[in-house]
Amino acid sequence: MNKLLYIAKRLVLGVPVVLFGLTMTFVILYLSPFDPMTAILGRDADPQTARQLAVSLGLRYPNGEPVPLWIQYRDFLIDTVTFNFGQSWVVTRGQSAAQLIWERMPATLWLGIWSVVIALALGIPLGLYAGLRANTWGDYTASFGGIVWRAMPNFWLAVMLAGLLSAGGLLSFYRGFLIPTDVIGTPAALGNLFGSYSLGPVGIPVPDPYNWAVAFKWILPAALVLGSSSMGNEVRIGRTAVLESLNSPYIDTAKAKGVSERVIVGKHVARNAMIPLLPVIMGEFYLLIGGSVLVELIFGIRGLGNLFLSAVLASDVPIIGALTYVFILILVFFNIAQDVAYTIIDPRIGLEGRED
Amino acid sequence: MCATITDSARDRDRREETRLRDRLLANPEPALRWGAVALVLVAVELGALAGGLLLLLDATVIGVTALIEVILGAFSPRAGEAVYAAQQAASGFLDGLRSAAGNVPTLLSRETIPNEGYKTGPNGPWEGTFLGLQPAVAWAIRLVLVYLYAAVVFYWVYRGWLVFRDHYRQVDWTPRDDVVDRLRDHRWGQFGIVVVLVFVTMALFAPALGPTTVEQNIQSPYSHEIQYYDAESGSVETVYVGDANFNSKSKGQGDQNVGPMTYDDYGRFHPFGTLTNGRDLFTFSVAGARISMMIGGLSIVLASLLAVIASMTSAYYKGLVDLVTILVADGITSIPGLLLLLMVGMAFQGHWLTGVLHGGFLYAVTFGIILFPSLWRSVRGPALQVSEEEWIDAAKSFGQRPRTTMRKHMLPYVVPYLLVYGSMTVGGVIISMAALSFIGSGLGINPPTPAWGRAIDMGRNYVSTQSWHIALIPGILIVVLVTGLNAFGDGIRDAIDPESEGGGEEEAAAGGAAG
Repeated sequence: MNKLLYIAKRLVLGVPVVLFGLTMTFVILYLSPFDPMTAILGRDADPQTARQLAVSLGLRYPNGEPVPLWIQYRDFLIDTVTFNFGQSWVVTRGQSAAQLIWERMPATLWLGIWSVVIALALGIPLGLYAGLRANTWGDYTASFGGIVWRAMPNFWLAVMLAGLLSAGGLLSFYRGFLIPTDVIGTPAALGNLFGSYSLGPVGIPVPDPYNWAVAFKWILPAALVLGSSSMGNEVRIGRTAVLESLNSPYIDTAKAKGVSERVIVGKHVARNAMIPLLPVIMGEFYLLIGGSVLVELIFGIRGLGNLFLSAVLASDVPIIGALTYVFILILVFFNIAQDVAYTIIDPRIGLEGRED
Repeated sequence: MCATITDSARDRDRREETRLRDRLLANPEPALRWGAVALVLVAVELGALAGGLLLLLDATVIGVTALIEVILGAFSPRAGEAVYAAQQAASGFLDGLRSAAGNVPTLLSRETIPNEGYKTGPNGPWEGTFLGLQPAVAWAIRLVLVYLYAAVVFYWVYRGWLVFRDHYRQVDWTPRDDVVDRLRDHRWGQFGIVVVLVFVTMALFAPALGPTTVEQNIQSPYSHEIQYYDAESGSVETVYVGDANFNSKSKGQGDQNVGPMTYDDYGRFHPFGTLTNGRDLFTFSVAGARISMMIGGLSIVLASLLAVIASMTSAYYKGLVDLVTILVADGITSIPGLLLLLMVGMAFQGHWLTGVLHGGFLYAVTFGIILFPSLWRSVRGPALQVSEEEWIDAAKSFGQRPRTTMRKHMLPYVVPYLLVYGSMTVGGVIISMAALSFIGSGLGINPPTPAWGRAIDMGRNYVSTQSWHIALIPGILIVVLVTGLNAFGDGIRDAIDPESEGGGEEEAAAGGAAG
């Protein structure tokens, strides 16, 4: 099958998944005992205002008749799919949900990117190391560390780390180390990553190194926590994958031919070890989106996770719906990307997708 | 044994039953010996056992009626209310029976080995504690006895299997023997089993383990009084537990701290120190273990049930059924678990369902639905594999009903895998549940019912102070339990399938719904 055709097919199959996810969101938000009127106006609202509000939210027709559920469902689907999210009810009343998401996006992206990078940069080498020195103390330390690291709840780790970094904590020196930064809150330098300088006639922005460093150091503890659980996964799976390929006959062949250790490890072992690691790396995005809620809460980062949590606690349905949709899109996209990446790394797996 | 396919399952069961009885009658001695130990073990803990069974029955009644209520309530609110009333009545009746069972004396109860008492003089002997020992020592004796008893019970169960295998089983060998033998050499898996058993014991014996009770110390501290020796007046005074708690807070600064393994001013021993509101952290933690493990167990049973149904039907019928299952599973996984839980928690706030199991029931059901796709994916392969086997075709061509084929010929092949993935997923449930309770604001376990996540939340601002124990200890409990569950899963996997060496999807599943 042609590669493009394969991607197209996967995209088409993604449509019902997105619709199903949205339907579940609708069922939870609209069919549960939850009452939007109380959420917005409080318990004892003026009936007149309540009616007007119900009309403006599309729950009732102007003549007072309730809008049938299937029409609400249809409108919800159409509006959401076309990115017409409506306005926030409670969190920042009247502001458009799309705008709010756009504002909060950079902090989450910054946190997410670094947590993936840190997890990969630490987890994969550690896994390779443990696999290459199997059953030594170094291996035991790395493996056991990975297992325990994975069992640690993100939010607890975040609480402990934030506590240790705070004034008077064991690690409070960190904030003054090299560049003075804070660790709690959204890094202000984030808005200024690309300085006022620009190159050339079209104005290509030039990264501002100092602000990058500040923003990086600021987010590092949070990113370390967020990346922790997937890091543990990578150590463990990397180790087994390396062991598996070390024991395969082609390594013996290569050794017999006198291929140097470095080439064997770099070319054969590491590359083959990547295959089982791929779903873990892609799976990180699930952990990131779920985990960012708590890590952003504890480190006080004004990102999407934090926005979702405050929307949930305030019952701000438009924001919840919009964010859920965005998250579903991201995850479905990464799932497809994962399967495509598989076919590139290991052509044997073929374009039909991997066998489960 | 050459049962033919046309036998009904019940016929065969009945025949096997009589045979086992015959075998027992022919050689009763080992079974009697084993049974005698059982009698002793039961007699010692009769009251607690009856109470536990009634609690289980109560939970089942509530669970079943809650499901009926939800289904009926969707059609007519009045029918739902009627079911709710019936549930309340039944639950009340069972509560009555339970308090009756509580009056039967048991060896390991706090009444037999009391650790709460007061000094009669400045250094003077303790009054009211076990043999006049210090509260800490009395409590430690009870703790050790509880764990000894639990160890004996677990060994006794294992022993029962050995007795059955050596004396009463007809076949000399089954694949399960190999599984057990392989577990015998698997240190990491044994570590997992031990950790899981330690926590199961903690959950089962929670009321007897704490230095004080949830009822007295946490739920209604102002309807209980304790006596203590007041150094200032030099006499024994009486104080409400609530007031004593108020003066035993762990708040970081100054002398506001009661750390682990210390006494407070009221002669109460706190193995894990106190919380920010002066309540005993150990009592809080063991009660939290109980609710955590209950929710974890319930949700995994539910998810496994769904996964079994989905894997059986989709592997048996294939085609469209399989495709629909894939779409439903993908749809559910497309929303990150924690977000779904938050949404459900928000939408159901104030609903009576949040009262069942202190709010845990609603989340257990949600977890069951969220986790079923990953469990199903992990057993889909084995189920499809076994559905291709010749014996399935044979069973089909003999005209065996699909349900019987699935249950008899496909299910046994899938169950071990469920055990592996299930044990690894429970860790994720426990972590997520703690995360929800950590957020609070109406999410997670309802206060004041103890929950690990809430203790971490309370200790959040005191991590770098002298009251570090509040957030640290419950977190360590979670880490140890989840590590143990993963080790347990690893052990079982290596035991059932020595060929497969780690790696794969379950790792991602274990990190789970995250948090």
